[in-house]
Formats: sequence, structure tokens, C-alpha cells
Amino acid sequence: MRRQKAKTRPPGDRRRAQAGALPARLALYAFLLALSLVFLFPFYWLLTSAFKSQAQIFAMPPQWIPAPIRFANFTSLAAETGLPRAFFNSVVTSVGHVSLALFLCSLAGYAFARFREAPGNEALFAFVLATMMIPGAVTLIPSFLVLVKLHLIDSYWALIVPGAANAFGIYWMRQYMRANIPDDLIHAARIDGCSEFGIYWRVALPIAQPALAALGIMLLIGAWNNLMWAFIVLRTREMQTLPVVIYLLQGEIRTPYGMLMAGGLIATLPLILAFLLFQRHFIRGITAGAIKA
Amino acid sequence: MPLRASLWRHRHFYLFISPFFLLFAVFGLYPLLFSFYLSFVKWDGLTPQTWVGLANFATMWDDDILRDSLWNTLVIGLLYIPPMMLLAFLFAQLLNQPWLKLRAFFRTAFFLPCVTPMVVISIVFGLLFSSEKGVFNYGVALVDRALPFLHLAAIPWLNSDRWSKVSVAILVVWRWTGYNMVLMLAGLQGISEEYYEAATVDGATSLQRMRYLTLPLMRPTFRFCLLLSLLGTVYMFDEIFVLTQGGPGTSSLNFGVYLFNLSFSNFKFGYASCVAYSVALLVFVAALLVSRMNRQENE
Repeated sequence: MRRQKAKTRPPGDRRRAQAGALPARLALYAFLLALSLVFLFPFYWLLTSAFKSQAQIFAMPPQWIPAPIRFANFTSLAAETGLPRAFFNSVVTSVGHVSLALFLCSLAGYAFARFREAPGNEALFAFVLATMMIPGAVTLIPSFLVLVKLHLIDSYWALIVPGAANAFGIYWMRQYMRANIPDDLIHAARIDGCSEFGIYWRVALPIAQPALAALGIMLLIGAWNNLMWAFIVLRTREMQTLPVVIYLLQGEIRTPYGMLMAGGLIATLPLILAFLLFQRHFIRGITAGAIKA
Repeated sequence: MPLRASLWRHRHFYLFISPFFLLFAVFGLYPLLFSFYLSFVKWDGLTPQTWVGLANFATMWDDDILRDSLWNTLVIGLLYIPPMMLLAFLFAQLLNQPWLKLRAFFRTAFFLPCVTPMVVISIVFGLLFSSEKGVFNYGVALVDRALPFLHLAAIPWLNSDRWSKVSVAILVVWRWTGYNMVLMLAGLQGISEEYYEAATVDGATSLQRMRYLTLPLMRPTFRFCLLLSLLGTVYMFDEIFVLTQGGPGTSSLNFGVYLFNLSFSNFKFGYASCVAYSVALLVFVAALLVSRMNRQENE
């Protein structure tokens, strides 16, 4: 009895190694702590600068804690710039794009996972995967010209539709649905008289919720932060999204840094909050990219 | 079952996947073909197109700015990829230790840069890099006061040809290390515990385990990270467009920003398409080489 107990204990030499590793561990903690502070510092600077005047921002030595704390940047942002409208535009285009993409990707992913005997399933799926290799830089100009032809420049659709049927998203939804939706369930739903779309909507989608969350968050980061495409296709102040408006706030001669930082803070906070709330999904969504490697 | 009947029986399959193919036709296939055609054309988007044959390709050979931008792309990549990968692997390795406390805090701190809008962060770094009133040079001045024999002087981060690329590289390391860390963490967690146990039983030191177990087994992950970084460097846009606009001069102009300027500042749609196609081909070959090289090592 006693002997068995002794066996389950870690071997003595390993214990000694752990005890000897204590200073090393402290050093590693110090290292990680120092570097995490370095990584967080730009956020700190963004946060504090949003409450400073231009003079305070450029004060030497630097003002580590703003004194006095000013809220003028926020009030003048609201009064003098199109920032509130830009925030609204960003929400509409991001939510619109992510919703449409999730719908189309899960629908196609479901079809690829579900109708395995359909003629051409594998070849068509291989084709979908192959389209991922096309670099966006090559299709940029013609895509812009297509939107011009369709009279969609300077509209929300220009940000919502292109890229909504995302090849990676289809791949990601197919893998998940293939592994997690039992065929019996689908058969049962069909016998109950469910339409094919009804099975997708009422049976498959609820099961695929974790995959949808991970994909949605990945797409949201891209959509919310999109600068280049938004810069190209949105022409008027009323339509421009946060990244574009913030970029354009930089003046040729004098840049209102306090206001920029305040606007930057407003543009950054939603995603940071989303990240803190759904951290697990965030991380899983990104590691999903590694599977295809 | 005859094909027609089978097609009809699976009509929902074709219906459900049709949105992808429709959108791909409009925003993928057509642009791909049209852009190929544009490579042989001179066009500003307004006046009629003129067929110029291979003239665009000839122009490319003498395009000094294109050469500069490709060179800068290479230098920026070499400046940031090694430290970023090293740091990401170090973080992943440390965050994978079972004894580590505060894991969530560290992971959040390193990963947070990846979810922030690049525009905002580029402007913040612009402030930090400011040569007279920036925090970074304030730090340099403090070190100089403490250790005068080093003869440190304020660094012209964004105002000199030599330092602009370094500044971009610092920004990129800050922004993308966490992303690579998460990928590597997933790779590390994919390695079966049994290997390590077996190696420990056989008396392998931790250094040997790293050299003969972790590093070889992590090679696919490293390859993936390297491929992503390669593509990310060539087509990098926001970072440089906001932080330096490619300047001073063309000292930090990379390919992504050069292509954007060509397309949407100079409206050389034909020439830009030609350049985009050619460089995409070059990148494709490079990416192929990276994956080929690694596969051979594995055998």
C-alpha cells in the first residue's frame, strides 16, 4: 500500500530540479512582465493622450499621467468631425459584411459537408480552396472598376459584398460541420418533413455556433480595421468608416493629435472589449488558420 | 443513376454553393482575367485604352522606384521576421509551461496588438518615434545621461533613410508577434506529451529535448508562419502608408504601398496590373520554394 503511494509521487531528482529552478522561474516572470508592459505601453499612451492637450502630448519630459485631465478632445471630436457618423458607418459595414459572410460561408460549407454524393462535390471544393491563392493585389483594380460599373462606389455595399463568400470561411465551416453534425440527425429532420434549407437553418446552424463565433470574430477584426479598400471605395465624408476618417484627420500642416488619440481610442475599444469577452473564440479562430498549412 | 437525375436530386447542393461561385465570378475570376488583359494596355481609367503589347514589362525593368520598393520590402522583411519569430517562439514556449501563473494576462498583453486598427496604432507610434518630443528618444536621452560613454544621440526614427525601415520593423514586430505566438502555441500543444516523457526516460536534457524534439516537430508551424510573414511583407500596406508614407524619399516604400500609389494616386491601371501580376508570380515561386525547402529537410 505504502509502496504504491510512493510510486505515484514524482521522482526525487525532478523535484530537486524544480526547487533549483526557482530563481530561473523568477527571472522568466520578470522577463515576461517587462515585455508585456512594453507591449501594452502603446495602448497606455493612446489612452492617456486622448485626455491631453496638444502641448501636454508633446511635453518634455513626457507627462506619464495627464494633468489636468481634459475631455475637450472628445467633445470637439463630436462637434467638429464626422466621427460619430463614421462610427455608425463602421458598425453597419462590419456587421453587414460579417453577417453576410457567415451566412454564405456556412451555407456553402454545409452543402459541401452534407451532400457528399453530389456529382462534382470534391472537384468544386478543390476549386474553392485554390481560389485562396489569388493575391488581392492582382484583383484590386478590376474589383474597384466592377463596383464603379455597378454604381456601388461610396455605398455600404462596396464594403459588405466583396469577399463575403470567403473561401477560407467555407473551408472552415465545412470541416466543422463534417465532424460535428451526425448524419442520423439530418435524416431524422428530413423524415419529419423539414425542407433542405430548414435543416441547414434549424439543425446545422445551431450546432455550428462555436465555429460561427470563431469565424465571425476573425472576419470582424479584418472588416473593422480595413483601411485600404475603404479608402478606395468610400469617397464622401458621410460614408467613410472610422479608419478612413481617422487617417484623414491627420492634417498637412498641423495634426490635432489629442483628437486623433480620442478617435483612435473610440475605434480601438470595441475590438478590445470583444477580444476580452470572447478570447477563447479569438484564439481558436486564428489557430484554425494553421490547420490548412 | 443517370447524371441528370443525380444532378436534380442534389439541386440543393448546387443552389447552396452558388453564391460563392457567383461572387467569385464577379470579384475574383473576372478581375483576374481583366487584370491580365490590362497588363498589356495603357489606361488611366478615363481615356480610351491603348494596346501597348509588352511595353509595360519593358518599363518595369527600368523602374527604379519599383526596384527600390522591392529592395525595401526585402530589407524590412529581414529586419523584422527573425526577431519576431524568435520572440513569438520564446513567448509560446514560456506560455506553454505548466507552472506558469498569469498566463491569461501575458497572452492578452502580447496578443492585443493584433486586434487594434493599424491606422490608430501607426499614429501612436508616429508620436512615440517623434525625434524631438518622442518617448523613445526621451528613453535614449535618459540612457545617455546614465551612460555618457556610449555617446548616444537622439535617433531620427522617421526622418532618416537609415532608420525609417527600422521604425517600420519595430512597429511590425509589435503588431504581429502575438499572432505568431498563438500559432506556435497551437503547434506546441499539438505535440504529444508522450514524446517528452519517452525522451525524459531516456535521459535527454531539456536542451536536447528542444533540439531533437520540439524544433523538428515545430517545423510545419514555422513554415506556415514564415509563409504568412512573406506574404504579409510584400503586401504590407497600413503600417507604412500611415507611419511613413514610404518616406523619407522612398526609403521605406514597400511593394504594397508602391502598388497602391501606382494604382490610385497615379491611375496607371495598365502598368500597375502588369507589376502586380509579375510580383505575384515572383512571390508565388518564393512561397513554393519555402515550402519545398522545408519538405526536403523533413525527409
